[in-house]
Amino acid sequence: MGLFDKLVTLFGLRKQEVKVLVVGLNNSGKTTVLNHFKSEDDKSTEIVPTVGFNIEKFKNQNVGFTALDMSGQGRYRDLWEFYYKDCQGIIFVVDSSDRLRLAVVRHELDLLLQHPDVSSRALPILFLANKMDQRDALSSVKIASGLGLDRILDKPWHICASNAITGEGLEEGVTWFTQQVRQVGQPGNRPNRTGPLASGKNN
Amino acid sequence: MTSLRNLEYEQLWLNAHTDTRAAVYTFSSCITLADLNADGDFKLIVADLGTGSTNVKLKVYKGTSLHSETALLDVPTGVVSFYMDFSEPRMPAIAVASGSNIYIYKNMRPYFKFSLPSMDVNPLEKDLWMQVREEQIEVGVLMELLNNLRLEIGFAQLSTQSQHLLAQDPTTVPSFVQQYCKVPIKRQTVVTCVTTLKKALADEKAVSCLVVGTESGEILVLDPEAFTILEKIKLCHQESSTLIVPAVLSAFGLHAVEFRIVAACRDGSLRLARRGWTESKLLVQLPAQPVAMTVSPENASITIALMNQTLQCFSKKGKLQWVVTLPAAACALCPIPLPHQSTTLVAVSLNGGLLQLYNGRQLVDVIKAPQSVSGLVFGKFGQEENALIMFTVDGSLLVKILKRTAHFNLQGGSTSANVVPGVAQQIKLQIPKKTRLFLDQTMRERDNCVMMHRTFQRDLFQLRVDVARACVQALQSCNNPISLEGAEPVKLSAQVLGLGPLFKMVITLQNISASTLIQDIGILFHFDDKMYSMEKPFIKVPILLPGVEYPYETMIRNISELALSDQIRVMVVREGQTQPVLAAIINMPVCDLLGMV
Ligand SMILES: Nc1nc2c(ncn2[C@@H]2O[C@H](COP(=O)(O)OP(=O)(O)OP(=O)(O)O)[C@@H](O)[C@H]2O)c(=O)[nH]1
Ligand SMILES: [Mg+2]
Repeated sequence: MGLFDKLVTLFGLRKQEVKVLVVGLNNSGKTTVLNHFKSEDDKSTEIVPTVGFNIEKFKNQNVGFTALDMSGQGRYRDLWEFYYKDCQGIIFVVDSSDRLRLAVVRHELDLLLQHPDVSSRALPILFLANKMDQRDALSSVKIASGLGLDRILDKPWHICASNAITGEGLEEGVTWFTQQVRQVGQPGNRPNRTGPLASGKNN
Repeated sequence: MTSLRNLEYEQLWLNAHTDTRAAVYTFSSCITLADLNADGDFKLIVADLGTGSTNVKLKVYKGTSLHSETALLDVPTGVVSFYMDFSEPRMPAIAVASGSNIYIYKNMRPYFKFSLPSMDVNPLEKDLWMQVREEQIEVGVLMELLNNLRLEIGFAQLSTQSQHLLAQDPTTVPSFVQQYCKVPIKRQTVVTCVTTLKKALADEKAVSCLVVGTESGEILVLDPEAFTILEKIKLCHQESSTLIVPAVLSAFGLHAVEFRIVAACRDGSLRLARRGWTESKLLVQLPAQPVAMTVSPENASITIALMNQTLQCFSKKGKLQWVVTLPAAACALCPIPLPHQSTTLVAVSLNGGLLQLYNGRQLVDVIKAPQSVSGLVFGKFGQEENALIMFTVDGSLLVKILKRTAHFNLQGGSTSANVVPGVAQQIKLQIPKKTRLFLDQTMRERDNCVMMHRTFQRDLFQLRVDVARACVQALQSCNNPISLEGAEPVKLSAQVLGLGPLFKMVITLQNISASTLIQDIGILFHFDDKMYSMEKPFIKVPILLPGVEYPYETMIRNISELALSDQIRVMVVREGQTQPVLAAIINMPVCDLLGMV
């Protein structure tokens, strides 16, 4: 971290809080990804399928993240859209070894991109082609073409292969993501919000 | 027509996987989906019939890739997965029926082989073979006598050995006899179809029994652990000699409690067996042979595809509900449960590659496959809950996934022109679908019925107590012959005249206000009707002018046989007001007994 950055932080000029939405099908590894970013004593040893959603907090490059870890089970997926409005970025986790459900991932992505709260904004989207360690995992290039990511022209997006258990590839992804939300969320043009749930409920 | 129709349906299915080179030749009865490794990743287990004699394999697909394959000795007739025991982790066993055996695989390794019990051999037949062995008779004589025996008892009653012999080419007969006269002759039946039946618990992973249909016209229910025959049900009557062979079986209920087994038989009969029965009951004689069948777990109605290009539905009692004519011959059928729309569709695959989805008799969706689909299964595959798996006659594997947002138009008014109309019971009533909320509430009520009843009872008693209290309070609060407050300043005085048992009561009312008129009031007597009878228990009072005294009289008779007296309550009430304006208690005098006589 440069001296300037340090000074800025010291004076509290750039204390940024960012809300991100973590989505993806069930069993793709969303909770495992977020678990990786948590500090050593917060880490949970056993990860069970999420019910509804969880709220997780972590820091990266001086940006405080409040992540909404959504459940990816079919019956909870319609919850996602209620939080599109209130987030400043989306992390989309894909199980790259689940070839069978790539079509389902694409369908969910289409629904997400078509949603008015997403289509109207230049939200940064980070795609994690997770479980890259699995034997039959697809490469991130194959995932990108399978999902038709080249169609996304009006939003910054990035895809990287990852292994949420070892943490491989996650730093790269989250570094990109942090830079993106920094640019979008400069003080001044960031709307004032109170809580992760507040605007989802009121609007 | 179909292409036109296709346009009407919005795309509800995602193409998840197509493998035109899978080279798996199979039928619905040989496909099953199971959580083989107890890790929530459901595998597709399929018995590949290969060419019908070679390349017969049991294949396991993990997602889109072939995970393992095992060679099978004989052509399979059915594959089912079931939980044998309660051991953890809960890994289901796979049962493969072929020939007269059922092979059980656990963790995809051979675990157990169950052979159908051998049957009695005709004593004459046994004798003949023995005589040949001891060279007492010639081969030609054996052939002739066996032929006679066949005419007498029927081909099916002969041993496998004799059946083979009779089917031999004359040139090979001697060598065949040479080879086989030494082995003891056996008569064994083969499995025609297999299904499962939950043993004692209804949950998804509960232990299940195997239900086996045999060529000898029986249904056997097997214990999942000991593989003993728990139940043996004959499909035909004891006397009649014609065999009725089950072709498709469907079992539901619990073996330990109550169960029903529906068998569609090769002779075109639909039969039912229940707990405790040793013989099946004919439900209905179908107009054609069955192809595939499904029984609704909710109302036990039977939907069955027949060889005459129709899909028919019967009530659990075997009453015809409806008939739909299919555009082509049916190849396979599978139920598609839609819990979020609280219905179960039936998918029928047709010759030529079309798949039609029916809700009841209403066509709700059409799917096109490149070839006729011979094996069709819907269920949980991989991590996906709603996967439709199709094997075509040319050996391709197709997987489609129902979109999460898919909503079938179940109310679509126009019924297909193919439907046979006319029967009154076919008129479709517009009964609204049960909502999710309703179902949740029903579940809650069922689970907490005792508590709910108690709460209700408590509240009811509380209400009664409150009412009684309020009543008592209302009566007591105005026990006062003069009312000053409110709009009715009235004074009441009462007088009882006479010696009894007939009394005269005179009530005098006086408006004690200075100037207000009092109207709309009345005098009400409250008394024990076993003691007194009153001429006028209610007296309507006209306007009371201030200051004037108004006497009102009524006769009271003491009707009690005992010489007792009681109190009578007099209340002045106002119309539309629950609380009396004023009230007084009058102690009635004891009546003069002499007067009564
Ligand atoms: N091999 C491998 N396994 C992973 C990886 N990431 C996650 N998993 C495993 O995948 C399983 C599911 O992970 P979760 O984090 O619960 O998945 P999720 O997306 O949160 O699932 P839901 O909460 O149900 O939506 C767990 O058993 C993880 O251990 C990975 O990169 N490689
Ligand atoms: Mg999770």
